[in-house]
Amino acid sequence: MTVESDAGALAPAAGSSSSLARRLGRAAPALPGLGVLVFLFLAPMAIMFVFSFWRTNNDFVAVPDWNLDNYARFFVQGTYLRTFLKTLIMAGLVTATALAIGLPFAYFLVRYTGKLTQRVILLAVIVPFWTSYLVRVYAWQAILGEHGALNQILQAIGLIKVPLDIFNYDDPGVYVVLTYIYFPFALLALYASLEKFDFTQLNAAQDLGARPDQAFRHILLPQIRAGIITACIFVFIPILGEFLTPTLVGGAQSSLIANLVLNFLRNDQFAEGAALAIIIAAFVTAIMIVFRKSFRVEDVVTSG
Amino acid sequence: MAKGSSPLETMPVSRFARQTRWSLIVLTGAMLAFLYLPIGFLILFSLEDAATPGLPITGLTLHWYQVLASDSAIQNALLTSVEVAVAVTIIASIVGTMVAFPLVRGGVRGAGALRLLFTLPIMIPGFLIGIGLLIFFRQGLHPLVNIQLGLYTVVAGHLVFTIPFVVLIVAARLQGFDRRLEWAAADLGASPWRTLRHIVLPLIAPAILAGALLCVTLSIDEFVITFFLIGPQQTLPLYIYTQIKFGVTPEVNAIATVILVVSLSTVLIGSLLLTGSRRLRHRTSE
Repeated sequence: MTVESDAGALAPAAGSSSSLARRLGRAAPALPGLGVLVFLFLAPMAIMFVFSFWRTNNDFVAVPDWNLDNYARFFVQGTYLRTFLKTLIMAGLVTATALAIGLPFAYFLVRYTGKLTQRVILLAVIVPFWTSYLVRVYAWQAILGEHGALNQILQAIGLIKVPLDIFNYDDPGVYVVLTYIYFPFALLALYASLEKFDFTQLNAAQDLGARPDQAFRHILLPQIRAGIITACIFVFIPILGEFLTPTLVGGAQSSLIANLVLNFLRNDQFAEGAALAIIIAAFVTAIMIVFRKSFRVEDVVTSG
Repeated sequence: MAKGSSPLETMPVSRFARQTRWSLIVLTGAMLAFLYLPIGFLILFSLEDAATPGLPITGLTLHWYQVLASDSAIQNALLTSVEVAVAVTIIASIVGTMVAFPLVRGGVRGAGALRLLFTLPIMIPGFLIGIGLLIFFRQGLHPLVNIQLGLYTVVAGHLVFTIPFVVLIVAARLQGFDRRLEWAAADLGASPWRTLRHIVLPLIAPAILAGALLCVTLSIDEFVITFFLIGPQQTLPLYIYTQIKFGVTPEVNAIATVILVVSLSTVLIGSLLLTGSRRLRHRTSE
């Protein structure tokens, strides 16, 4: 038990307590959790990495026939690269939208509303995002679907004659739903950083002759940089693994990169699927490494 | 914040103050409406008496909820979901809480790496966790053991991302924990075990409970990872998914509404618990 060894370490004379046994004793409670993650998270990722260089044989078994074909396919066959780029653009657009709305939204909460209103509105935004992701994506069919509310209303007021299908079975629909799904993450991260900001600094800046936009750029922005980056990451990264939204509200032509991985898995082409998944994973990891310093998971996770 | 130092009062009044305020109100209101719009229509369409939901509403009925109540496929799926959630919650709460101690209290080499490892599964898309495990179970482990996909593999998949959530929530609570309470207990002759049992655990209990509630909702709602790791059984989200694939029916709307309402209230309770525990922390750290 940690508490045991820790309580010992509190005694003033415990400075020499850094023996290996003690260290291990302290770390012991983490071992079961560590075991789970090593075995069920790191090991599968490692195996996926290995498989991505293998080949799927005719019996649909990945065999150690080392090659780079699975990766070469990504760059040679246009579909994969195109879909990947499209996924990045989609993720970028959704992230930009979430920021553009989330920043003024959070600013409004922090500066214009009382503590209670803040909590209520925040809760109203956060709560749905802990509830069933499937149901929330599905709920949009009621609005965007062929017989959904949007088409019915537009038809009723005579704006259109036949049901539109740009929102259903196409990219704009996917964009709307993704914004809906991931906006709360952005808001939470932005709120957490704006809440810590001391707004009298803006007044000071303006007293010293700064224009409002200068005060915003040079005083506020640098201090909420971490929040903005966290918001971006929390919106951008999950979209790289999105396959459900394109399946439910998009159509065949609105596939994102994860849908292509799924196609491989459906055909039991594990090696090919693994390579594509590794490309996504590498991208995610790169983003997290680049921004690791200014990135706070706790702000988003524990404020729910 | 002390009275009289409200940011509003100290703010220099701009010519556009009024317009700014109103446009912010409109933006916030519109976004809130956008967030609740689909939920509203979902509920509305679950109460509609036509067999193909949509506008205009011809009449309201609770018929679809009655259909739900007597649908054994849904009940089986729900039962499966609950079984998985219970197993996941018990394991994740215990294991996650244990991890939080060395993580927060230090003295462990590589605490930073440990922290990173336990945030990764939250950040990595569930999609990658799911297919990683699928390939692992189906082919990676194949030479050693023959693992059949089923509820065990689903539980395994859910543990990967629920444990980190418990770790983060309990760690946040432990961070603000006043160690002097423990020292006092030790001074008064309490054994470490007794201190843990009577001082530490009761004080972090709200966080553990909030973490456990989160595990329940996350597990019951989990679709992506389950989608890859499930065998012949069906959890509730998987059942709904297959129904949606067949076509939208008012019954699916009804079950979706029930799920929304149940998880909304669970999360609300969990959130209130966390707030309560935060307030407690302020009190104890004074």
